[in-house]
Amino acid sequence: MTAAGNSRQSARLASGGLIDRGRPLRFSFDGRSYTGYAGDTLASALVANEVRLVGRSFKYHRPRGLLSAGAEEPNALVELRGGARREPNTPATVAELFDGLEAVSQNRWPSLRHDWLAAGRVLAPVLAAGFYYKTFMWPAPFWEKVYEPLIRRAAGLGRIATGPDPDGYEKAFAFCDVLVIGSGPAGLMAALAAGRAGARVLLVEEDFRFGGRALAERRAIGDRPCHGWAAAVAAELEALPNVRLMCRTTVFGSYDHGVFGALERVNDHVPVPPEYEPRQRLWRIVSRQCVLAAGAIERPLLFGNNDLPGVMLAGAARTYANRYAALAGRRVVVFTDNDDAWSTAADLTAAGASIAAVVDARATTPAGAAPDVHRVTGAVRRALGGRALQAVEIETERGALLRVECDLLAMSGGWTPTLHLSSHQGARPRFDEQRAAFVPAQLPAGMRVAGAANGERTTAEALAAGARAGVAAAEALGLGARAPAIPAVEAETSAQQPLWRVAGAKGKVFVDFQNDVAASDVELAEREGFRSVEHMKRYTTLGMATDQGKTANVNGLALLAARAGQTIGRTGITTFRPPYAPVAIGALAGPHRGKDFRPLRLPPAHGWAVEQGAVFVETGPWLRAQYFPRPGEPDWLAAVIREVTTVRSAVGVCDVSTLGKIDLQGADAAEFLDRLYVNGWKTLAVGRARYGLMLREDGIVMDDGTVSRLADCRYLVTTTTANAGSVYQHMQFCHQVLWPELDVQFVSVSDQWAQFSIAGPHARDLLRAVVDPRHDLSNDAFPYLAAGAVGLADGTAARLFRISFSGELAYELAVPARAGERTVRALMAAGARFGVTAYGLEALGAMRIEKGHVAGNELNGQTTAHDLGLGRMLSTKKDYIGAVMARRSGLVDPARPRLVGFVPVDRGQRLGAGAHFVAPGAAAKAANDQGFMTSAAFSPTLGHWVGLGLLVDGPQRVGERVLAVDPLRGRSTAVEVCDPVFVDAPGERLRV
Amino acid sequence: MSDRTHAAFTPGRSGRADGAPGLIVRECVGQRLASLIARRGQAERASAAAARAFGVALPVAPRAVAGRGATFIWAGPGSWLVETGPELDDVEAFLGATFAGTASICDQSDSRVVLEVSGPRVRDVLAKGAPIDLHADQFSAGDVALTAIGHVGVHLRQVSAAPAFRLSVARSYFGTFWHWLSSSAAEFGCEVVAPDPQPARDAR
Repeated sequence: MTAAGNSRQSARLASGGLIDRGRPLRFSFDGRSYTGYAGDTLASALVANEVRLVGRSFKYHRPRGLLSAGAEEPNALVELRGGARREPNTPATVAELFDGLEAVSQNRWPSLRHDWLAAGRVLAPVLAAGFYYKTFMWPAPFWEKVYEPLIRRAAGLGRIATGPDPDGYEKAFAFCDVLVIGSGPAGLMAALAAGRAGARVLLVEEDFRFGGRALAERRAIGDRPCHGWAAAVAAELEALPNVRLMCRTTVFGSYDHGVFGALERVNDHVPVPPEYEPRQRLWRIVSRQCVLAAGAIERPLLFGNNDLPGVMLAGAARTYANRYAALAGRRVVVFTDNDDAWSTAADLTAAGASIAAVVDARATTPAGAAPDVHRVTGAVRRALGGRALQAVEIETERGALLRVECDLLAMSGGWTPTLHLSSHQGARPRFDEQRAAFVPAQLPAGMRVAGAANGERTTAEALAAGARAGVAAAEALGLGARAPAIPAVEAETSAQQPLWRVAGAKGKVFVDFQNDVAASDVELAEREGFRSVEHMKRYTTLGMATDQGKTANVNGLALLAARAGQTIGRTGITTFRPPYAPVAIGALAGPHRGKDFRPLRLPPAHGWAVEQGAVFVETGPWLRAQYFPRPGEPDWLAAVIREVTTVRSAVGVCDVSTLGKIDLQGADAAEFLDRLYVNGWKTLAVGRARYGLMLREDGIVMDDGTVSRLADCRYLVTTTTANAGSVYQHMQFCHQVLWPELDVQFVSVSDQWAQFSIAGPHARDLLRAVVDPRHDLSNDAFPYLAAGAVGLADGTAARLFRISFSGELAYELAVPARAGERTVRALMAAGARFGVTAYGLEALGAMRIEKGHVAGNELNGQTTAHDLGLGRMLSTKKDYIGAVMARRSGLVDPARPRLVGFVPVDRGQRLGAGAHFVAPGAAAKAANDQGFMTSAAFSPTLGHWVGLGLLVDGPQRVGERVLAVDPLRGRSTAVEVCDPVFVDAPGERLRV
Repeated sequence: MSDRTHAAFTPGRSGRADGAPGLIVRECVGQRLASLIARRGQAERASAAAARAFGVALPVAPRAVAGRGATFIWAGPGSWLVETGPELDDVEAFLGATFAGTASICDQSDSRVVLEVSGPRVRDVLAKGAPIDLHADQFSAGDVALTAIGHVGVHLRQVSAAPAFRLSVARSYFGTFWHWLSSSAAEFGCEVVAPDPQPARDAR
């Protein structure tokens, strides 16, 4: 029985380690309380408390323990925190311990020890590689309804929180001359060399402490323990004003031009972030040079039951002992094919464990190995035990079988360079046979790789390579750099003879622990023809779990290579893609979530509309007043009817500031407009406005609006609210690319002006009260489509345009934005005696439909000028954008649906936009489709619903009846085709 | 209140309450702004006209230069934003006298909200949104950038080595921008001080 559940930290050493025994931290795992120390990870605290069983495997629910001590951990995935902060799939090895941490194991029910889902292990034979494609195929409907949900429930990976995340996330940008990734011996030396040379250095470390592998070893660097050396170098770097150190930050992606993505876990190590601080911060780092010193990840060895709790990477066992003063086992067998794991035997011995045996697949023993150790030449065939390791079965080189009791098997299959970031832009690493590792081949511009990430395994090599890389980076920046003195390190060897697979292994041999991919799965894939590494990966799912196969990939492709009888180098490696480690979606979104997803634009008089009790609607980025309800009005329609009726009978004021406004000047301004719009501009007089229509290059209508000539060579172009940005962009393209020879200058003035529509029979009377009396506003002096500067009675310099969207006598009054609020108040005050109403977007829309004016619903990117009844505007006297393509046969086909009006035959019925037209008696199916209703509104003027729509042969069918079929709302309405102008067809009202 | 910049933008302290504020924000009011765009092929003549009338040539790189009575802020090739004092009623007429025939002028006085931001953490705050290297070695007084911060277009310039930056934002986007700025500054403490009606002088 283990000591799980006690708080004595029975596997904690009495001294040593980078933990603070004066700061005990309480935490819970699966509801049981434990104690660890500041400086612990959740994993090291579990080791100290002798908790061996930390998870259940993905597919077979096999018991699993800690394999590693770093970000590569495949087994010990936990859910952290609770409630809306609950998050799944954090490796316990990277979870920094804090007081009150709550962790829960995953993928088991009801508990880790008694996992009923483990009964699924009897299904193991059918869950082999590619089972998705081969089994559960019959009966077909069962896959979606029965098999898949069952499998998904069994193969869970933790639960996400369902409530909104209460924490904040930020984005940030950093710039540096030299980015150093990793703060082990290589990274520290690189940062020191470049930093002392005066470069702006950014040193980024994923751990909460600087030092990398130096934190986990016992050897000395110079005259200090290596962690002490690391601390001293980090302190010197901290003191340099041109060096910035960031810990708890993972560089997860490498992109073009020295750009890197990084995730800073600002407050993952506290229960709740302090007020005003984010939980995590996503960095975009722009560097001129980069030194990748990300270290290496140890490989497991492939033997039977190599996933049993108690089987651990040799380097990890050393890390737990040296850095965390926690013994992962008391009676230890070391199994290795290389020199490095011999230090584990030495360090664990020093920590008080007994080494039952060192099983080395090679005949050689590294120099300096303890002479009294029980050395066996051979291999571990299998691990024995139920939920924890009890013994190993060893086959010696002479074929004898030994059984050795132990509670920890520390294994090492060599080290795989963490070169991911060198490969994100597509460069393929090359396999170095001598080092038995993939190492970077071509590198992105400005990047150097140093230390274990480059296959340089010993501390001495790493120190020297880091210094070289730092000097080279500084020199590439034109800085004179001197290599820092390389401190002395005791001799160290790193020989290896790779043992890719133990022959005669008994039991299941795992390659990818997290996705439960066994050696037999890789071999099956090869037999079935999936011989490309990319195919093997997808067929077996090797390397596709949240750890992305950090401990598995090289072993997997070594197996594939052996089966295929070719070298590992020829077999190749799968593509590396960002992110190196998982990044939460919340961090990628940063602050831009919910209402902050995109910017919101407010017109200048927004505050006034709020005071009026307006109901708002989002139109593109803008918040606009939809209608202004008054007490006693039962619904929105009542408000809209009142607003429309008041405009048509008296006067109303509407904020139209959101329309796009572009100031256009220059000697060729009229020529520019002629080329942009379908209609002509050279005859437009100063002080006049004209309606304009522009096409896209493909002949489809792009936008409409008015253009007013303010002076000889100055125009004001307006666009629809929705297309303001794209029309401005289009104009820039036309000027900069197509016609740079034209003398035109234009700039957006959308934010400069607040603009209000004053519409209705009393519009002139109202204006008379706010415009300086010296301006003559009579119909003769300021007729329909007049435009010009006016002064207001309060002195404001304004512009007045006599244009109408409603069909009534109407003006648009523009004032500088800061005068917007006071101007609309002045208009409303002046209008009081005429019964003025503020009106919103709904009333505006209803009135434009009554007038048959097209708007966004009709300018939908599919309609031509002919379709909209605007064919007469197409000039034949000049060329313009879209002129040629608009003459394509498909666009001038008379059978195209064209704009007409509709009224319900039964005037009591309502119409809805989106309804499709079919001939009376025809079936409501796509083959009979004759067009659709683009806009519909209740017409307060007519007292019934009216609609606009596009109907095949529409203008020739006035008086006909068709059926408007609206499957979405579940209704069909008989409608009569009519002229699209429902109110004042001759247009007399707007000219009075 | 009429003519307000934004309901949520009021003098006072926000975010972290203890210690000196990391960010100090002041709205610049009273200045007049205008776009100045060179006519085709007239950039050099426009620049010569500026030199005669204001004592400075128009910047051809992202810089702001302060002349007698007007500051010219680079806004793209052949394009500038001109800032003048509050005493001018008609900035178009004022500049038109100098640039007639060489550049087109358009009043933009109301189109932007201009904030001056300073304080010990100003660079850290801006780093949360501005994809621009504002390190003292890379960006100094008089430097200008047209960029986007938190999805909002910003015309940014440094006005003093202290450092202080002037951020000019389209008026309709100001609410969104202020929300970004105040929440980004919250961890350092943010102090909005009352507007200064006289625009601060630019560094030369």
